[in-house]
Amino acid sequence: MELVVDFAQTFLGQFQKPTLAFLIGGVLIAALGSKLEIPDAIYRFIVFMLLMTIGLKAGIEIRNADLSALLLPAIFAAAIGCAAVAIGRYALAAAPGVKLDDAIATAGLFGAVSASSLAAAMISLEEDGIAYEAWVAALYPFMDIPALILAIVWASMLRGREGGERRTVGIKKIVLDSLRGSAVSALLLGLALGLFARPDSVFESFYDPLFRGLLSILMLIMGMEAYARLAELRRVAHWYAVYALIAPILHGLMGFGLGVVAHHLTGFSPGGVVLLAVMAASSSDISGPPTLRGGIPGANPSAYIGASTSVGTPVTIAICIPLFIALSAVVF
Amino acid sequence: METHKAKKITIVAEKLIQDQIQEILRKAGATGFSIFEGSGEGSRGVHRQSIVSDFSIVKIETVIVDPAIVDAIAEQVSAAYFTNYSCIVYFDDVEVLRAERF
Repeated sequence: MELVVDFAQTFLGQFQKPTLAFLIGGVLIAALGSKLEIPDAIYRFIVFMLLMTIGLKAGIEIRNADLSALLLPAIFAAAIGCAAVAIGRYALAAAPGVKLDDAIATAGLFGAVSASSLAAAMISLEEDGIAYEAWVAALYPFMDIPALILAIVWASMLRGREGGERRTVGIKKIVLDSLRGSAVSALLLGLALGLFARPDSVFESFYDPLFRGLLSILMLIMGMEAYARLAELRRVAHWYAVYALIAPILHGLMGFGLGVVAHHLTGFSPGGVVLLAVMAASSSDISGPPTLRGGIPGANPSAYIGASTSVGTPVTIAICIPLFIALSAVVF
Repeated sequence: METHKAKKITIVAEKLIQDQIQEILRKAGATGFSIFEGSGEGSRGVHRQSIVSDFSIVKIETVIVDPAIVDAIAEQVSAAYFTNYSCIVYFDDVEVLRAERF
């Protein structure tokens, strides 16, 4: 009984955090028809800054870390990303009114990772004083790229079998495109700089202090965008919304489970387990959609982007982050 | 001033396929093109400034004197992108100075 009370208290306590408040604020302000707009350029700059900071911190820490501890979580990350695509392909595609291409594309996004969710989770952990290995951020491409590749290749295979147009899918091109995407590029650049250069001074004086503030603005933007995409989601089968509600929690629990395994096998920290779970729960909003649009052009963007941005990411940030933090408090 | 007849091709498409369309124009023999960014609405949905910049639209204009090149461009763009992407193509008859530039 005490476990349940502890859990409930931690869970509810998360809702007062600024991260969530700004997200909800964004949704509300858009719903009320406000003309407030954060310019596109600022949004892109913020994503760069956040991922650069995460990458720098990870790179600086990897200098002193034991890299073999990264291997098992990396394998798990790839496994969850692919499993998410498989679940979506069978579960979502079976729903009435849902086309196969759209289902696989949506599953691909939910298998991939959202930078905003990762950043929000890191701040929540820091505020609660839960330690995590900074290199966990490096797991991002390990989950993101396999999920997107699997979705695109699978869709292409299924289309070929149905006698539809079978385009030769260049996996190398998809990997390169993903690695060149703005979010992953910033992360990898930060990682490289943290690892090989000595950016500690500029990290401590500039990047790190700005992190929370920039994240709050990003949450505001994500909230506004979530509301804006709602109109598109309404035009497609409501099963997408149902999937987008359940999938983050399901994938997150899978991630949490595997994270606990890693904890017992290689000493993966509780904070790391939460981050792995949140990465599994998150659905890509920025880098995933263009890759999928290029790889599965027949899929309807209103379905997969609407599902991810309007329901998936808010659920991940609002429900999954508090859920897994609370869960880690009782499990560890 | 002496003017020459030419055709202006305007392609309004989603930003995602901008690079590919530019390739088609170059390969078909267009000497140049101009790109303008924008937003709008169509049968496939709304294209507005959003967090995913690839889904806003661009207007690509190119002026061509040789009608064969115009046909080649129209054919290739329509074959490649009309089915799955937001893309429209339309033509204007224009007059230009310095026909050798187009």
